[in-house]
Amino acid sequence: MDRVTGRVRAHQLVTVLLTVAAWEIAARRGWVDPLFVPAPSATAGALVRIAGPALAALADTLGKTALAYVLSVSLGVVAGLAVGSVRLLRDVLSPYVIALYGIPKILVLPWIVLLLGYGTSPAVLYGAIHGFFPIMVLVMGAVRDVDRTLVTVAQSFGATPLQIYWKVLLPAIVPSVLAGMRLGIVFCLLGVLVVEMFAGVRGMGHVLGSFANGFQAPELFAATALVSAASIAIVLALDSLNERLSRWRA
Amino acid sequence: MKVALLRFGLLAAVLAVWELAGRAANPLLAVPPSAVLPALRDLLLLRSYPDLPASLWLTVREITAAYALAVAAGLATGLALGMYRLAGRTWGPMLAALYAVPAVVWYPSLMLFFGLDVASKIAFGFLLGFFPITLAVLAGVRQVNPHLVTVARAYGAGTLAVIRRVMLPSMLFTLVGGLRTGLALCVIGVIVGEILGAKAGMGALINHAYGLLRTADYVALVLVTLALVVGSDVLASLLERRARAWTE
Amino acid sequence: MTASRGELIAIEGVSKRYLTTSGPVDALRDVSLAVGESEFFTLIGPSGCGKSTLLGMLGGLVMPDAGRLLVDGAPVAGPDPRHVATVFQDPGLFPWRTALENVELGLELQGVAAARRRRVAEELLAPLGLAGFAAKYPRELSGGMKQRVAIGRALAIDAKILLMDEPFGALDEQTRLLMGEWLLDIWRRTRKTIIFITHSLHEALLLSTRVAVMTARPGRIKAVLELPMEHPRSMESPEMVALRAKLWSEIREESLRAMQ
Repeated sequence: MDRVTGRVRAHQLVTVLLTVAAWEIAARRGWVDPLFVPAPSATAGALVRIAGPALAALADTLGKTALAYVLSVSLGVVAGLAVGSVRLLRDVLSPYVIALYGIPKILVLPWIVLLLGYGTSPAVLYGAIHGFFPIMVLVMGAVRDVDRTLVTVAQSFGATPLQIYWKVLLPAIVPSVLAGMRLGIVFCLLGVLVVEMFAGVRGMGHVLGSFANGFQAPELFAATALVSAASIAIVLALDSLNERLSRWRA
Repeated sequence: MKVALLRFGLLAAVLAVWELAGRAANPLLAVPPSAVLPALRDLLLLRSYPDLPASLWLTVREITAAYALAVAAGLATGLALGMYRLAGRTWGPMLAALYAVPAVVWYPSLMLFFGLDVASKIAFGFLLGFFPITLAVLAGVRQVNPHLVTVARAYGAGTLAVIRRVMLPSMLFTLVGGLRTGLALCVIGVIVGEILGAKAGMGALINHAYGLLRTADYVALVLVTLALVVGSDVLASLLERRARAWTE
Repeated sequence: MTASRGELIAIEGVSKRYLTTSGPVDALRDVSLAVGESEFFTLIGPSGCGKSTLLGMLGGLVMPDAGRLLVDGAPVAGPDPRHVATVFQDPGLFPWRTALENVELGLELQGVAAARRRRVAEELLAPLGLAGFAAKYPRELSGGMKQRVAIGRALAIDAKILLMDEPFGALDEQTRLLMGEWLLDIWRRTRKTIIFITHSLHEALLLSTRVAVMTARPGRIKAVLELPMEHPRSMESPEMVALRAKLWSEIREESLRAMQ
């Protein structure tokens, strides 16, 4: 770790420690209403108390997220490849895709819950819809931007269309697929949480919502911290995977 | 030409399928476009929801407030982080890490803090719009030619002047892109906030219709809200084009 | 225009017209040529004269509007890696593949087994001057090295004919000269038939056994010069000086015409 990075890390650590310390002092001195902003110590205590059910709820949420994620990645990549590589499809569908991407999906959430009820399926479906669009749009763009020379080279060596997909297009779009996957996981998780909050479905979203309704501030903060930490950890893991797979890039 | 025809044909086909499926389905669950149109008419004539204008106006005010706050805070934070290298390197990654958390996670805390009122929606919209604006400003500042700053300072420009006369014009392009994304996210944040629990505003109306299984009214309300969303984006893109023309 | 040697490549009355936004453009009109085995045949001409189009046709990537092209007696119907390998001006290396994996590409597309194609590619590295660079990615290679990998990729499939479209065009002069020497060495050892496109008179004179001068658009064969001299050649020899003058006079006219 070089000198500058070391300094930066030290500063970051100090920032975190100072913030926590200041927060603790503020809560204890009553500068902030502990009903709304609990002390870190109270939050930590709450975390221990709710650990069991909170982790179970988190597992539930992450399970649905995983399902939604698999759906949105597979469908998003396939759709992005198909629409991106066939000129006519791309020209005709692009405006619709971009329009759908820009629409706040939450507007259709009540209808989805109406149709599918209060179970796992609306959460998985909505999460998948959320994650699908950014992935598809990114893959579409990547396919469109593939260096044409590489395709010509492959053709000159007698590549069949299938070989061109497999050996030129797919490897070329990997960086965009990875970027899409990184974006997608946050979107999928977001979608699942929204449904859980909206429909009172089992899971972390519901847990957060009920703590809020019950004015249980320490528990709410603890649960929020838990879910945030999980999300950050997942994204960091994807980032490092991304880096490992992109050694060939400048 | 062929493309335009195909696009139109696709739209017509989708509407046709919707119409047929809607007619065959349980009217509580799905309504065909032909049922939506009268509901829309009733809505716009203020028959089904007389407080539509008030709700719409409220939502617009929430969005405006959230956006104003997001832009102000985003500009300030982005500029500060961009101009003071150590601060940027220290807190920039922490900000980016927070961006990795789905924003809706903060909403229950906001509801606890602000209640179901307007404030929680504004706060949530602000939170959603703040990040992309800050990150865009940060990126924009980082790509400003440092030599220009040196020249400006050599001619006696203070920090504020440097920002006004060197940084903002140099990064206008990136900035406007970020501002546009920020607006879109503020809009989403406010709407999500309203739908997840509000006493007033478009989201509240939508919830009301959904709760009473007034599906046609629900679709009509969604369409009106969509018009709001699209309208705000069109406005933003017009401003973006204006800004681009100015930099060229 | 017909060579007295056996014709490996025959181009007969080939024409090509492109439809552009400003109207139809005749790239080639009634081009006829024959190239024999193991020739180093260079095409030279002003920009836009259709040299690349002609090469593209030989490579099966472009179809003529009139006339035909025969390779080893058979008409060209599409890319035929068993007979023809192409090297482009842009090396077109796959950035996610190492140098070695790039060289293997042609063999891989032909379904050659992994062990065998690895061996073929590895054996090519030393003559390519890339020993030790097998595991490097294109972004770690210089322009000249990238082009050598591209040439290696073409050599690996062991096609009789090598089509080269200004392969050294993007390189600086020193590298160009060295690459030219190196290419001659490869040619002497493999005895392949090379069709080479260049803008450089120097390259054409230094490397080729025959040079065809193309007219400005629409392209036709204006003249074919024989260069029977042995390699390595001296540019100062009287025959060279005379040929250079002749070549330049043929080209100069066309270049002027192309500029109008």
